[in-house]
Amino acid sequence: MSKNLKGVFRVVKMLIIVLGIAGIIWTGLHQFNNRNIMMEIETEQGKQAIFISNDVIAKGQFTTILFEDADEVRLKKIKFFGQWKSVLLKELSYSNVAAYVETIQQGKMHTESGQLVLTGNGRICMEMNASFVKMMQELSASFLQERLVIMGLIASLAAIMIIVCNAIQEKLTENNWNNHGPIYDIKRFCRDLVKYWQYMVFSAKADLRAEVADSYLNRLWWLLEPFFNMLIYVIVFGQVMGNSIENYATFVFSGLLMWNFFNKTVGYSVKLVRSNRDIVTKVYIPKFVILISNMMLNFMKLAFSMIVLLVMLAVFKVHIGINVIWFFPAYLVMMLLAFGVGMIFLHLGVYVDDLSYAVGILLNMLMFLSGIFYNVMTTLQDPLNGMMLCLNPAAMFIDTMRQALVYNTVANLPVLGVWFLIAIILCYIGIHIVYKNENSYVKVV
Amino acid sequence: MSDIALEVNHVSIDYKNLMHMSLHQGVLKGDVKRADIIRAVDDISFTVEKGKILGIVGRNGSGKTTLLRSIAGIFRPDEGNIDTKGNRVSLMAIGIGFNPRNTGRENILKSGMLLGCQLDYVKEHMDEIIEFSELGDFIDRPVRTYSSGMYSKLSFAVTAILDTDIMLVDEVLSVGDEHFRKKSYAKMEELMLSNRTVLIVSHATDTLKKFCDEILWINDGKFMQLGDTEGVLSEYDEFMNL
Repeated sequence: MSKNLKGVFRVVKMLIIVLGIAGIIWTGLHQFNNRNIMMEIETEQGKQAIFISNDVIAKGQFTTILFEDADEVRLKKIKFFGQWKSVLLKELSYSNVAAYVETIQQGKMHTESGQLVLTGNGRICMEMNASFVKMMQELSASFLQERLVIMGLIASLAAIMIIVCNAIQEKLTENNWNNHGPIYDIKRFCRDLVKYWQYMVFSAKADLRAEVADSYLNRLWWLLEPFFNMLIYVIVFGQVMGNSIENYATFVFSGLLMWNFFNKTVGYSVKLVRSNRDIVTKVYIPKFVILISNMMLNFMKLAFSMIVLLVMLAVFKVHIGINVIWFFPAYLVMMLLAFGVGMIFLHLGVYVDDLSYAVGILLNMLMFLSGIFYNVMTTLQDPLNGMMLCLNPAAMFIDTMRQALVYNTVANLPVLGVWFLIAIILCYIGIHIVYKNENSYVKVV
Repeated sequence: MSDIALEVNHVSIDYKNLMHMSLHQGVLKGDVKRADIIRAVDDISFTVEKGKILGIVGRNGSGKTTLLRSIAGIFRPDEGNIDTKGNRVSLMAIGIGFNPRNTGRENILKSGMLLGCQLDYVKEHMDEIIEFSELGDFIDRPVRTYSSGMYSKLSFAVTAILDTDIMLVDEVLSVGDEHFRKKSYAKMEELMLSNRTVLIVSHATDTLKKFCDEILWINDGKFMQLGDTEGVLSEYDEFMNL
C-alpha cells in the first residue's frame, strides 16, 4: 500500500479518536433539560404509575400522592424512572417512604411486616414534605445515567469505527503471512471455532466427568453440590439473617450462580497457559479453544445449578412472568464479557506472574461491589447506586437477570445494550492480541 | 527425485530472556534488561523429501527441540520460514493433553483430536491403538493409576497409529519394556516403508543408524552438516569425543 494511503488512514483514525473524546466531554458538560419523572407506587393491590412533568417538579407543585377509593393501602415501595422505562433512578422502600411524609389527611400510617400501612376512609391523601420535593428536583435535574450511557455508546461506536477502518485498510493491503487485520482474525476465529468444536465439547465433558470420577456418589454430585449450596443460602440468608428483601434466598442464589460463572472464567483465564503447558508446549492449538472449553465446563455445571434454582423458584412460589425473557440477554452479555476479559487476561497472565493474585483480589472486590447479597439501588448512597449500575457490568447484569427472574421486571436495557457493544469489542480485542502473540507464549512458560 | 515434504528456509529462533517477569523483578530491581536475547536456532535451512527419515543430532541445548517445535507450528520462527506443503505435522511427545483423572479411552480421544483428527476417525482407530498399547483392561481406568511405562506406551500408541503426514519424534523411542521397545522399532520400520516423512531427534546413534536416510547435525543452533547417515554420524562422534 502506498505511503499516502497509510497516512490518510492514520489521520482518519486520529480524527475518530478526537471526535470520540470531544463527544464524551460534550456529553459530560452539556446542560440537558430537566427530565420528566415517572413514579411507580407498588402496593399490595398492584402497581400505580404517576407521570410528573418537569415543570411541575421544578415549581415544587407536586406535594401530594392520592389514593382514590381506598380505606387501606399497603405500600411496599416507590420507584422513580426517567425517560427510559427500564432504568431505575431511585427506589424508596416502605421504611424510607415514611421519612418523606408530612401528614396523612384524615388518616394514619404505621409499618407492619414489610409494608407501610395507610388507613383512612374512602380517600387517602399523603402530604409529602419539603425534603421529598427537593429530592424530586434533584432527580429531575440530574442526567447521570443517561450521560453515562451516551458516553459509553460514543466510546464503543468510535472503537467500532476504528476496527472498520482497520478492516478497510486490510482489504487494500496486499496479503502477507504476518497480517493481523480484523477480517483475517475474525475469519480465522470462525474457522478455528468450527475445527475445534468437537474437541471443546469433548474436553469439557471429559473434565466434568474427571471431577467426580473418584467420588463415591459420582454423578449425583452435579446436583447435590448446588442443592446443598442453595440450602445454606436459604437457611443463612432466608431464616437467620431475615433480610428485608422479598424472596431473599432466591435473590442471593440466582445472583451467586451468575457471578460464579464470570468469576471462574476470568480467574481461570489468567493461569490458563501456565496450567495447560502440557498441551501448549506440545501441539499447536488456538488458545481460545482452551478458554471456551473451560467456559463450557462451567456452563454445564451452571445448567445443573439452574435445575436447583428452578426447584427453588417453585418452592418459594416466585411469580414468573413474560419479562423473564430478559434473563437470557443478561446471561449472553455476561458470557461475552467473560470471554473478552478472559482473553485479555489470558494474554497478560503469560507475561506477568503476579497477575493471578491481583486478579483474584480484584474479582473479590468486584463481587462485593456487585450487589450479590444486597440490592444495589436501595443499599448504596444516592449518586453511587446509579453509577454502580452503569459502570460496573457485574452489578448491571446481575441486577437485570434478577429483576427479570425474581421480580418480573425489565431493568437496565439501554445499559445492557451498551455493555453488549463493549463486550463484543473486548472479544475482538482479545482475539486479536492472542492471535498476534500466541506464538511466543511457549517460549515464556 | 520424489516430492519435497518439508522445506525449512533460513530459520532463526530467539528466546528473549526475562520476558517472563514478575512484579518483584520489574519494580524492585528497577528496569528490566531487554538485551538478553538467546538465539536458539541460527539460520538453518534444509529440505526433506517425502517418505524420508531425517535424524537430527547435536549436544544438549543445541536447539533441536526448538527446531522441531517450530516445525510443528507451536511457535513461529523469528526469521525465515517453514513450508510444510500442506502436510499435517505432529510432534510425537509424551501425553499430549492427558488428564490423569480421565480413563485411557477418553484420553486417547482427547489427544487424538488435539493432533487435528476428527472424532470419528479417532474412534475408528480406537481398537488398534488399544491393542498396540497393550494396556488391556487398564484402558477403562483413570490414567493416574497407570505406571509410567504404561503411560508412555499409551501416548506412543496414539501418535504412532493416528496418521499424520510428517511425524516429529523427540527421543521417545526408548519407552516401555524390552518387548514394547521391539514393537515400537517394528512400528517405526513400518512407518518408514509407508509414505510418511519422519524427523527424529535422538542421542542414540544406534537408533539413528538403523532408521535414518539422512542426518542433520546442529551445534549451538548453527548448521554443521547434512548428509548420509554414516558419514555425518562418524564425524559427529569424533567431535563429541574431543
